Order: sequence, then C-alpha cells, then structure tokens
Amino acid sequence: MTEEHIVTSFDDELRELTDGLIHLGGLAQIALANVEKSLKMNDHDLAKKTIEADKQINALQFELEEMTFNILAKRQPMANDLRSVFSSVKIILFLERIGDMCKGVCKRIAKGDLLNAKSPKTIDALVGLTKDVQNNLDLVLDDYAQGKADNALNVWRSDIKIDSSYASILTAILEDIRNKPEAIEALVPLFFIARYLERIGDQATNIAEVNHFIVTGEVLTDDRKLEAEEKTVF
Amino acid sequence: MNDQLNNKSLIQCSNVNVFYADQQALFDINLDIRENEVTSLIGPSGCGKSTFLRCINRMNDVIDICKVEGSISIDNQNIYDPEVDVVELRSRIGMVFQKPNPFPKSVYDNVAYGPKLHGRILHQEDLDRKVQESLERAGLWSEVKDRLHEPGTSLSGGQQQRLCIARAIAIDPSVILMDEPCSALDPIATAKIEELIDELKSKYTITIVTHSMQQAARVSQRTAFFHLGKLIEVGDTEKIFRSPEHEQTEAYVTGRYG
Repeated sequence: MTEEHIVTSFDDELRELTDGLIHLGGLAQIALANVEKSLKMNDHDLAKKTIEADKQINALQFELEEMTFNILAKRQPMANDLRSVFSSVKIILFLERIGDMCKGVCKRIAKGDLLNAKSPKTIDALVGLTKDVQNNLDLVLDDYAQGKADNALNVWRSDIKIDSSYASILTAILEDIRNKPEAIEALVPLFFIARYLERIGDQATNIAEVNHFIVTGEVLTDDRKLEAEEKTVF
Repeated sequence: MNDQLNNKSLIQCSNVNVFYADQQALFDINLDIRENEVTSLIGPSGCGKSTFLRCINRMNDVIDICKVEGSISIDNQNIYDPEVDVVELRSRIGMVFQKPNPFPKSVYDNVAYGPKLHGRILHQEDLDRKVQESLERAGLWSEVKDRLHEPGTSLSGGQQQRLCIARAIAIDPSVILMDEPCSALDPIATAKIEELIDELKSKYTITIVTHSMQQAARVSQRTAFFHLGKLIEVGDTEKIFRSPEHEQTEAYVTGRYG
C-alpha cells in the first residue's frame, strides 16, 4: 500500500496532527520528569515552573483539538485515517489530564509541607511510583510515534503493579498518620500525590488501549486485559 | 449501528467471469447479496463494479461481444439458465441509472408504462392506484400529484431520478439495481434519494454502485470493494470503512489509491 494520499495536503494535515501530539506527549513527559525531580529534591522552584508550564499544555490541547475538528469536517477520514484522527481526540485529552495531574502534584510540593511529613520512605516510594508511571508513559508515547501498539499489553500488566504500589503507599501513609498524628497536615498531601500518580498511570494505560485500537481496529477487550492480569507476577 | 434485518441471501453469485471479446472484465466473483439490505459496490473506475451490476439483470446480454460465465441465482434460480425468460426476469429487477432517463411521456405514463407492458393491470382505477402508490413510495407524490400529465422531463433532476425509481418499483420488483444514481444530482436531491433508499430496503433488495465512499457508508449495510475485475473484499459496511481486512481496500477507502 502506498503511504501517501492522493491529496497530499491531507497527508500534511495528518502529519501536523501527529507531530503536534508527539510534542504534547513530550510536554507531558517533561512535566512528569519535573514531578519526579521536585519530589526527590523537594524542589519548590521546579514545582512552580511545572505549574506554570501546564498553560503550554492546555494551549496546545486547544490547538490540536481545533486541528482534529477541521480534519474531520474537511476530509471525512475513513478506515485507518478515521481511527487515527478519532483516537487523537482521546489521546489529546489523556495527555492534558496528565498535565493537570502533574500540576496537582506540584501544587502539593510547592506548598512546602513534604519534609514536615518526616516520611522519607514514603517519599522514596512516591518517587519510585513516578518512575514506573514515567516508564509506561514513555512506552506508550514511543508506540504512538511509531504507529505501533507493541507495548499495550505490557503497559496494562505494569499498571496492575502500579495499582499495587499505590495501595501499599496508602497503607504506609495511614500508618504514619496513626503513629505521627501531629504530622497529619503534611501527610495528607502525600495521599493526593499518590492518587495523582496512580491516575497518571491510568492515563498511560488508556493511551496504550488507544494505540491498540489505532493499529488493529479492535478494542482491547476485557478478556485480553484479564489475560494480562493473570500473567502478572509481582 | 448496522440495522441488518436478516442474513438471508437473495442473490448468489458463484465464479462469475465476464469477458468483452478477449478482454476479461471480471474474475471469479463470488458474492452473496442479502435480502432487504442495501449492498454497495465500490472501486475505482474500470474495476468492474458496473459490469457486475449489469450481470444481475442480464443487461450484458445486449452487448454481442460480452460473455458471462458462472452462475447468478436469484431466489435459487440461475438467471443464466437458457430457460429463463429475460423479460420476466427484468420485471423482477428494477434498474436506476446514473443520469435520470424518464421516457418522453407524462409523469403518469412513465410510471404506468411497466405495469401496462407486463399486462399486470387491466383496470384504469387499479393503474391509477399503482401509479399513486409507486410515486408515494418514491417520495414524489406530493410534489407531482397536480402535474401527472406534464412531461416527466419537465421535473427537476432529483425529481426525475425519483420518477425513475417510481417507474422501477411500479413493476413490483424484488431487487433494485442502482448505477451511481446520485452522481448527476445536487446534495439536496442526493439526500432525498439516500433517504428513499433507506426506506425502500424494507421492501426491496438494493444493490448500488457508487463512487462516493461516504454515500456507501451512509446507505448500505454491506459493501463490496472491486479492483481490476476482482472482488477484493466484502463485508459489513462499518467494518469496511473502520478497519477493512485488505490493504488494497484500506488504500482505496482512505484515498491513497492512484
């Protein structure tokens, strides 16, 4: 099959949309990398910069949505083009949500209460969780950029592990609250941070599912997910 | 969603090969056309879709150099059987062409012509009823009821095409073949024909050749993609336009075909 459309301007528009999405993904990756550094170093300045940088993500989101809307109106895409353009709308939203959640984490960091929690182990666990989530986001964005879905099931499996880490972190925070009730104000934000990170993991899984749909035209069924779950070994 | 009424195939085509002298136009076409559904035939110009459509009512018989092999059965009767009465066969299959082609007669006579020719209606009042009923089914009655004795050619292009549809259904066919019925019409007239196709499928089995992918997607339940005389893929329309099996189909429906 020839890759190019007869109408080459359609190719230009699709390429522009894909490039824009990869750029948006890059901004989300940067935001998540900043989350990791800010958490690890308790870096308030970086956290504030990340909060500010979310505006860029939102602006690009609107630009890409506009682009998608115009392609649908003008080109009425079919088959793999239709799957790709339709899926772009979803991925744009997932990435924008990731930006929002990174902003949410950074807001908690910027308030400056993390050290008062006196829970270095929990902070380490949150950093570890961030790295796992980062890894999944990297995988699904690489897949998207290459027009593949090779990592879809791996990411799904890995998200089950992320959920489990999240549950352990919550248990640890609860125990800290019981043991150090005086630190509750500093400990509660850790709850939110863990929750945001777990949800970022979910967004990466969502992108994995969309990649699978773009490539195969099929929705990743619960059976396939169950299969992945059964193969998961902690 | 696909509002498929049933899966019974009314027309079965097996190993259909068509030749124009030494030139083969269709290669081993195997295709079932389901009853009370709309089947779209799509493909680039010269792919054989119109040739195939014309095999279904034996219109290729009138071309001396054309030879059709294989079998096409309608209601389990091979229409290429030597015993088949072609006139009777065509009375079971209505045809609508690319350009509206009303007879140079009145609106009324255009519709009454078929039933009269086939000697099916003997009384004037029955004929009047049949003309009205056919025009109503074609969605044209309210627009022409006061112009029944004006020439069919005095109607607008879209009205003329609906008149041709009324003429086709006046003989109570079970199958209606449409060869690019909207290609000469404006978008409003096209929308009316598409609406009509949707209504007619409850009573007739419709096969339509169209160059508009969007039209195929809108009006049909099944779509068959032809290329260079071969049937590349046939399937539920949603499947063909969302995720076809064959790369050639995908290349064509996405506009990548040269």
